[in-house]
Amino acid sequence: MVSRCRFNQISGGGVRVQASNVSSTATFHENWENTKMSQSLRPYLKCVRSSLTAAITLSNFASQTAERHNVPEIEAAKSPEVLLNPLTVSRNENERVLIEPSVNSIRVSIKIKQADEIEHILVHKFTRFLTQRAENFFILRRKAVRGYDISFLITNFHTEDMLKHKLVDFIVHFMEEVDKEISEMKLFLNARARFVAEAFLTPFD
Amino acid sequence: MATINYRLIDVDALDPESAFPAELLTPPCDPIPTSEIQSLATHCRQLLQRGDQEAALVAALENVPYGGDEQGKELHLGTVLEILSSIKAVEMSPLLGRLYASPSGTELLDVLTKYLYKGMARHNNSASSTSTPGVSSHATGVSSVSGAREYGVAPGRGDGGGMSVLLSWHEKVVEIAGTGAIVRVMTDRRTV
Amino acid sequence: MSNAEQPSPKEPTSLCVCRSWRGVKEESPEPRLHCEAPLPSSTASASPGLHLSFLPRLCTLPINSSQILIINMLLLEYHNLLLKSILTERFNSATAASIDQVISDFDGVTFHISTPETKSKILVSISVKCYPDLLRHGAQQVLEREYGQHITETETGYDFSLMVDLENLPAEQEAKEDLVRRISLLKRNTMAAPFEKAIDEHHRLAEASKGFNPENAPTGEGTEVMVIRYREEEAMYIQASHDRVTVIFSTVFREETDRIFGKVFLSEFVDARRRAIQNAPQVLYRNDPPLEIRNIPGVKDDGTGDIGYITFVLFPRHLTPQRREESISHIQTFRDYFHYHIKAAKAYMHSRMRRRVADFLKVLNRAKPEVEESEKKEKKTASGRSFRVQT
Repeated sequence: MVSRCRFNQISGGGVRVQASNVSSTATFHENWENTKMSQSLRPYLKCVRSSLTAAITLSNFASQTAERHNVPEIEAAKSPEVLLNPLTVSRNENERVLIEPSVNSIRVSIKIKQADEIEHILVHKFTRFLTQRAENFFILRRKAVRGYDISFLITNFHTEDMLKHKLVDFIVHFMEEVDKEISEMKLFLNARARFVAEAFLTPFD
Repeated sequence: MATINYRLIDVDALDPESAFPAELLTPPCDPIPTSEIQSLATHCRQLLQRGDQEAALVAALENVPYGGDEQGKELHLGTVLEILSSIKAVEMSPLLGRLYASPSGTELLDVLTKYLYKGMARHNNSASSTSTPGVSSHATGVSSVSGAREYGVAPGRGDGGGMSVLLSWHEKVVEIAGTGAIVRVMTDRRTV
Repeated sequence: MSNAEQPSPKEPTSLCVCRSWRGVKEESPEPRLHCEAPLPSSTASASPGLHLSFLPRLCTLPINSSQILIINMLLLEYHNLLLKSILTERFNSATAASIDQVISDFDGVTFHISTPETKSKILVSISVKCYPDLLRHGAQQVLEREYGQHITETETGYDFSLMVDLENLPAEQEAKEDLVRRISLLKRNTMAAPFEKAIDEHHRLAEASKGFNPENAPTGEGTEVMVIRYREEEAMYIQASHDRVTVIFSTVFREETDRIFGKVFLSEFVDARRRAIQNAPQVLYRNDPPLEIRNIPGVKDDGTGDIGYITFVLFPRHLTPQRREESISHIQTFRDYFHYHIKAAKAYMHSRMRRRVADFLKVLNRAKPEVEESEKKEKKTASGRSFRVQT
C-alpha cells in the first residue's frame, strides 16, 4: 500500500496507477471508481479494463507469409491461426468497444456515445483531430475500424517499451474523458449560443 | 488471357502447402441438432420455474452446443441470457463461488464468459438481433413468465438494461476466475 | 496604429485585417494563450484586451446590468474603425500628409481613402457589391441627406465618393467628430437605404390602415419584397407591411460543422425572445425559403440544407422615429455577427481539443517507464573511452 501511495503522488493524482496484480488492488480501485463514476459507466469501464488486461499479451512474431517482415498480424490477417476470437464489450447500442486480439498485436476500437447531431459532429471533429496527430499517439490507428469512431493498434513493440497496465489505464482514461469532454463541449456551445443570441437581441429590447 | 495481370495473382493461395489446414483451426465437434438444444432450453426453463436457477445455469453451461449451427447457438445464447437475467445481483457472487469450487468449475466459468461476450456482441450484427424475436417467441410459447423475463436481456430495447446485467456478471466472474477466463475465451477455437 | 500609415498602394488589405479594424472588441472567450480565433493579434492593440475568461462556462447566463458591458463588447461596431482612426488623425493633425489606402470591410465592401489632388483634400470612396440594388431603393437620397456638400464625382472603380477639404473643416471639435463619425458610417448608411424605405412604407401603410377596424384591415400582403444581393451567394430580403417590417437573411453554410453550429445558435435566437427578451424582434429560422420570398427569381430550394433563411420580424416598437436608426444599424450587422461567433465557437473548440489532446499525450507518456538514473550514467567502451547513453 505504501508503494502505491508513493506512485500516486508521483503521477500527480491525475491517473491512478495500477499494480500489475489485478486482484490485490481490486478493492482500492473499486473505492476509487465508485466515487468518480456514474453507476452505469463503472461496470463498463471495469469490463473494458479486465478485457484489455487479458488481451494485451503480445509477443514478437515474424510474418509467416513474407520473409524478414514483422507486421501486426491483426492488420495483415494473412495467417488465421494467429488471430484470436474478438471480444465485444458494450454498454448499450451506441457505446461499445471491440477488441481484436492476435499473437503480436491487438486492435481496440471504440464507439463513442452520440446522442444527437451536435454530439455527432463533435465526436467526429475530436476523433479527426486525434487521428491527425496519430504519430504522437504511438498506439493510435490512423483510421477507425468501420462502425467505430476511433481505433488503437497496440503491437508487441509498444508493450516492450511501455508498461502494459499503464497502456490499459490510458485507454480507460481516454474513454472516460472523451465522454466528459463531448458533453462539456456541447453544454458550452449551447451556453455560448444563448449568450450570443441574447446579446444581439438585447439592444432591440 | 492477356487481360490477366499475372503479377497480381496471389501465388501463395495456389500453394497447397502454405494453406493452413482448416480442420486444425476448428476442432472437431459432433453436430448437435437444434431440436436437442430446444429440449435443453425447455429443461432449463423448467428448472427456472422451480426456482432452481443454479441447476439451470449449470445445465446450460455443461451442455454447450459447440457443434450446433448458428440458429442453435443463438437459441442456446437466449437460454443462457434468460437464466442470467433471472438471478438477482446479490446471488451472483455466492453462486459463482460454488460453481468455481466444483470439479469442472474453471470450464464452467470460461463457458459463461464466452456467453457474456457473445451477449454483448449481439448488437453488432443485425442478423443475430433479428433472430432474437424467434427466440423470445419460443420462450413465450413455453412459458409466459420466462418470456417476459427474457425481454430484460433482449437487445434492441435501447435502454442498455440487458448490457448492464451482462456487465455486472462479467465483473463478478473476473473477480472469481481472474483474467484467465477472458484469455481462454479469446484462445478457445470452440466458439459458442 | 503604425500599419495604418504604411503606404499600401491599391492593394486591398486582407479581410482578416479588416476584421480587426472593424473593431470587434472581444477576444475569443478564452485566455489568448490558447486562442486560435480568426482574429489576428493586432486586435489587442486596437481594442482593450478584454477577455471573457471569467464567463461561467457551463451555466446559463442571466443578463443583468453588470453584464451589459460585456454584451457591448460582444457586438460588432457599426462604423469602420480604420476609416475612423485615419480621419480622426488627419482632422486633428497640424501637418498635412498624403494618404492612399484601400480598406476592406465585411461583405466585400472596399473603401479607398486617398489624397489625389492636394494633401488637404481627402477622397473617400466606397465600393459595394450590391450598389445597383441599393440605388434602386433610394440609396442616392439617403447618401445625399447624410453627406450633402461632401459628395463629389465618383472615383472610377468605386460606387460612391466623398471629398473632405481639411482647410474647410468645421471649427468646433464636436462638429469635426460628428463628421468623422458620419463618414466612418459610410457602409452602414449606404446599406441603410432599403431599410429606410421599408420603414417609411410601413408608416404609410400603418397610417392607411388606421381607418379600418382590425377585421377588415388589409392583411399582410405588404409591399414588394426588396432584394439586396450583398454577397456572392447570400442576400437580404426586406418587406414592409402595415404592422411590421420583415427582414430575411439567406446565409450559406460552407461545411457540416458550420451548419450544425449555426443551427444551435439560431435555435437560441429563436428562443431568446420567448425566454428573456420579450420585446425583441421575432426570429424564425428554416432551411427552405420562407413564403414571402418563394416567388422571387434566384431563390431556390436546393434541398441540401446548406442555405439557411433567418427571418427577423421588426415590430412597430422597433420602427419608431427615435429607434429606427439604431434598429437599422443593428440588424445590418446580424450576418457578420452570427458567422463571427460560429467561427469563434469553432476556434474555442479547437483550442479545447488541443489542450485535451495534450492531456491525453501526457497520460500516454506515463506508460513509458522512466529510465533508471544509473543507466543514464557514463559507460565505457572496450578501449576505455567513455560515452553517454542517448535516450
